[in-house]
Amino acid sequence: MGLRQVAALEQDVAAWMGARGMLELRGLTRRFGATVAVDHVDLDVPAGQMVGIIGRSGAGKSTLLRMINRLETPSSGQILSGGRDVTALEGRGLREWRRDCAMVFQQFNLVQRLDVLTNVLIGRLAWQRGWRSLMVLVGARFTAEERAMALAALDRFGLAETALQRAETLSGGQQQRVALCRALLQQPRLVLADEPIASLDPRNAQLVMDALRDVNRHDGLTVLVNLHHLDTARQYCDRIVAMQAGRIVFDGTPAALTPERVRAVYGITEQEFAAEAEARRRAAEPAPVTLAVA
Amino acid sequence: MSAAPDVAAWRARVPGAFGAGPRGRVLAGLGWLGFLLWLGWALWHFDVSPQRLWNGLAGLATILRLMVPPSPGELWVDILQGLAESVAMAFLGTFIAAVIAVPLGFLGAGNVVTNTLFRFSLRRVFDGFRGIDQLIWALAFVRAVGLGPLAGVLAIATADVAVLAKLNAEAIENAERRQVEGITAAGGGFLARLRFGVLPQVLPVMLAQALYFFESNTRSAAILGVVGAGGIGLQISERIRVRHWDEVAFIILLMVATVAAIDWLSARLRRRLIGG
Repeated sequence: MGLRQVAALEQDVAAWMGARGMLELRGLTRRFGATVAVDHVDLDVPAGQMVGIIGRSGAGKSTLLRMINRLETPSSGQILSGGRDVTALEGRGLREWRRDCAMVFQQFNLVQRLDVLTNVLIGRLAWQRGWRSLMVLVGARFTAEERAMALAALDRFGLAETALQRAETLSGGQQQRVALCRALLQQPRLVLADEPIASLDPRNAQLVMDALRDVNRHDGLTVLVNLHHLDTARQYCDRIVAMQAGRIVFDGTPAALTPERVRAVYGITEQEFAAEAEARRRAAEPAPVTLAVA
Repeated sequence: MSAAPDVAAWRARVPGAFGAGPRGRVLAGLGWLGFLLWLGWALWHFDVSPQRLWNGLAGLATILRLMVPPSPGELWVDILQGLAESVAMAFLGTFIAAVIAVPLGFLGAGNVVTNTLFRFSLRRVFDGFRGIDQLIWALAFVRAVGLGPLAGVLAIATADVAVLAKLNAEAIENAERRQVEGITAAGGGFLARLRFGVLPQVLPVMLAQALYFFESNTRSAAILGVVGAGGIGLQISERIRVRHWDEVAFIILLMVATVAAIDWLSARLRRRLIGG
């Protein structure tokens, strides 16, 4: 099968996925002991949408996204993609699902001692099959083609010069864009961004959000992004989902999320919401290294 | 603060804040008494007396006088050969131990192997091996494979593999979870997680530890020679037997210089590995 045929097939699959729903959550629930982090969430996301999930800290946004990537196991409920039950996957199937829904983290989760290029190439691991996936323990693991692909991705976000530096030498904003490059090399259909700008200063936050919008608009990837700035969500997203205490309390267009609506949903004004978010950002700024991602 | 503090009331509420009570004082006294009795018994049992210590010092002074000036003697080629042999023994032994300790470390790490019973048993085996000193291993291997450096290499490797495995396991357990999670989220399998998530974090630590052990083993390789496991130790013990203390001093100086050189070299390597 030629490359062109594969591409055509992929397009067909994408169209089919779009028709069936890129992502459907059915009664998705996650309990930690007595607390319910995510409480019977139902959500349909069609292909190509950029969805902002907002909420105060502890609302269950992170847990929701981590469940979709299966970093967290749901206590009950289902995750469906194109009619396929993702909740039941394991082994190879699970790794391929994770490849399809690339994750971007608040703390970037890059391997600090590896160079930027290798960090990006990690996005190719789930494409490797059979003996090549065993070869990770020895010798050269990535083909010249994959390396060129990684360099092109880095170049797209102005990071090609840093390819051979260790990840730890980069600024937070640069690291987050490297993480996005890693996500793109997975050739995913879905990008899950868990508070991608919460640890960044405003300028870098804008760069990262622009990059996310770019992959949504130009690469046609579906993006789910957790945010705690309402303004950012309004500015970048087609659709806003608001969470409170593990439940979805609002789901609609940015225009529909009026200040009155915010007040009704959260019981605080938008200014207070923004101040809270800002306080959190400042607290998160000198990222504590061993902080657990809950 | 006007009135004097109410000592009695506070003593009743927080007795611990006013030092130990009479019962605690008696217990502490008994403890000290027991310790002093044990110390006295040990000194008496080993026949330690100021007289003996004084005579010993005099003997030591004689030896020190005989050591000056240090001299390479006539068989200085043997000395150099012995030293090279010791360094080679230490290097080979440490290398073998370090290589074997990498997989063992992964097997002993709680965040890699989740089977608690297996891990617990393996860790106890490490502990058991650590309980046996290098010298005992050397004596055993001299009987098993005969006199010479091979016994020394095996003794160093066996004694160190358990220690390095334990240190490696601890380093692996301290690896940052988030970096590994990045690999998981990208669809990496178990081996990929170890290779790209854990190994980059722990490899510099493992190498630094191996380097430190190499340096330390160069020192202890001298002892191994005394029991017949080859190297410079044999040269030292022969010269002590015939009281050529000036040559012994020469060997000691040479060893100090060698260890210092290795220390300097490994410190530089460590810095390169760990620093950016």
